[in-house]
Amino acid sequence: MTSTSQDKAINTVIPDLRDIPLDRLAELGASPLARSIALYRERLKENGVPLSSFNARI
Amino acid sequence: MISTHRLPETAFTMLATGEGGQTVVSELREAQHSKHTMLLLAIAGAARDADPADPGTVAFRAAYELLTRVQVLDPGASRWLLALPHLGSWAHDALIRLEQESVPDFAYLACAAAAAAVRAGVPFDLDVPVRDGCVLLPGLGRLDAAGQPAWIRLRCDGEQLTAGDRVAVARLALGPDYGSGQPAPHWRGTPAVRAAADGLAWDVLLVTDDPYLDRYTLPMSAGLSAGELRWWRQRVQSAWEVLVRHHRWAAGPIADGVSAIVPLTPQSQTDLISATSPAAFGAVATSWPPDPVTMAETLVHEFQHVKLCGLLDMVPLAESGGEKVYAPWRQDPRPAGGLLQGAYAHLGIVRFWAAQRHAETDPDDVLRAQVQFARWGPTIDSAVGTLLQTGCLTPEGARFAGLMRAQGEVLAARPVPHRAQEIAREVTLDHWLTWQIRHVAADPADVMVLADAYRRGEPFPVAGRPATSIQEDFRKVSASVRSRLLNMSYLEPARYRELCADGALPLSGPDRLLLSQATEAAVQGYRDLITGSADPQPDAWVGLALALHQPPASRLADAFAACLPVMFDVHSCLGAGCDPLDLASWFG
Repeated sequence: MTSTSQDKAINTVIPDLRDIPLDRLAELGASPLARSIALYRERLKENGVPLSSFNARI
Repeated sequence: MISTHRLPETAFTMLATGEGGQTVVSELREAQHSKHTMLLLAIAGAARDADPADPGTVAFRAAYELLTRVQVLDPGASRWLLALPHLGSWAHDALIRLEQESVPDFAYLACAAAAAAVRAGVPFDLDVPVRDGCVLLPGLGRLDAAGQPAWIRLRCDGEQLTAGDRVAVARLALGPDYGSGQPAPHWRGTPAVRAAADGLAWDVLLVTDDPYLDRYTLPMSAGLSAGELRWWRQRVQSAWEVLVRHHRWAAGPIADGVSAIVPLTPQSQTDLISATSPAAFGAVATSWPPDPVTMAETLVHEFQHVKLCGLLDMVPLAESGGEKVYAPWRQDPRPAGGLLQGAYAHLGIVRFWAAQRHAETDPDDVLRAQVQFARWGPTIDSAVGTLLQTGCLTPEGARFAGLMRAQGEVLAARPVPHRAQEIAREVTLDHWLTWQIRHVAADPADVMVLADAYRRGEPFPVAGRPATSIQEDFRKVSASVRSRLLNMSYLEPARYRELCADGALPLSGPDRLLLSQATEAAVQGYRDLITGSADPQPDAWVGLALALHQPPASRLADAFAACLPVMFDVHSCLGAGCDPLDLASWFG
């Protein structure tokens, strides 16, 4: 998650799966993808699913 | 080797400053596509380990295979499905169930894959669940299956969809319901709107039929009548016109990023509740907005949350934990992550009212817009200051907050008419003081030391004011009619005037004097009320502080703003007969 002056972009925690066919996903199980899923589940466990709820009249 | 999504620095900066044109929204949507794919893989892993004979597991496997085929034959249909907030919300729910060691709703993927295949015209043949007498095709609508068993065979030959032996519908009829065509037998399309204004269009679902988008603090408005749907479509169209004509910066991104509105059923007719869930990127939920401008503001507000939720999936900005803090728009103390969300939403709100106040023509509407702008403008700076003090922001979060603050300063520097400024100042102060007296606690021993010193006629101790901490609902303070009226004075000026004129307001005497700007009499009234009462009067203390702040502000105003909860506690120790103004002078 650090930006470098060379490419001016931030590395994110979401694996790029846009070009990977669904039937090939399972083959990638023991890869950084598995770590991303574990990280995501960890965050879900920590934070639950917070909800932004706003009462405009208060 | 899989790489991760990379967010261009320019997109990060644009998001932080509340921008977010098509390119930026596209970055978020692409990441959501990957996120949903990732979650689908996680659920597929669980399905592999699940009971192979369970119909849900069988349906999931068949659905995954179908989705794989759809992805090959029509990648656009696969992308459409993976972008649906319905799918993200279902995947979140499935993951939570797995964390709780319960069985996810595997069968939903059969409905979702069938929807994608129908959209693509890809033939298929699979079992799907019948729920509430219907087969749900997320993003499209519901097929009538009343009286059918729990599972039904769904077949599509590319031209026609059949469910069991009795129901057959032409594939091209299986789309959302825009309220303009003839309804197809056995089919109820998800209500939808195609809003258009000045050449800019927005196609959005009004989701009232998917259990995974019924996840907000209020229930989804299922079963809207044809008349109610017509009102919703008209309201969306009118709000879209407001956005396109006066807030073009927001309109385009909203069209790109919001694909579903979830109408909510409010608890009372007068409350407007809106919400966003990070589980459902692209969906915003709202109860019935009373007018097009309010709906436009709600969309801007909630879309800020949508964007920030998308960014937070990619780049953590705040750690969980830490002390909860003051948020100028909430009654309760908020964690840093919640404050960040609120501040970001209000950055959009400030920009909205900055423009809207010049678009309004009716004097009441102008007043509302001006006060909204004046009320929320300064909150970005103060909220970011609070956020930075929590120490909960990541380095990227601190950078994001700094960019927000700079943008907030630019917006808040714009001039505001005096009257609007005064109303905003009083409402802001009322909120701050009420929050303080509710949630700020001082050490009882320190309070007792101060009370003893005051009683003995000693000067204020050199040790100074006692340390305080935030404790949720430390003191019970009921919702104040006075606060509601202060807000009503600019949100609904006509109603406010009407209520004031009939003299039937359930207000205390001092409150009535305060609202009519009879400042000196109000101060005396609150003073008498507090001095003469054996019970603590937190509401009167807030009223007294407000009266002392009315121009020309009393020299005691600062003491009230700075240490109202401590003064209140000390006064409670001293009991009836103690003059609050004398005590405030002693506090200095």
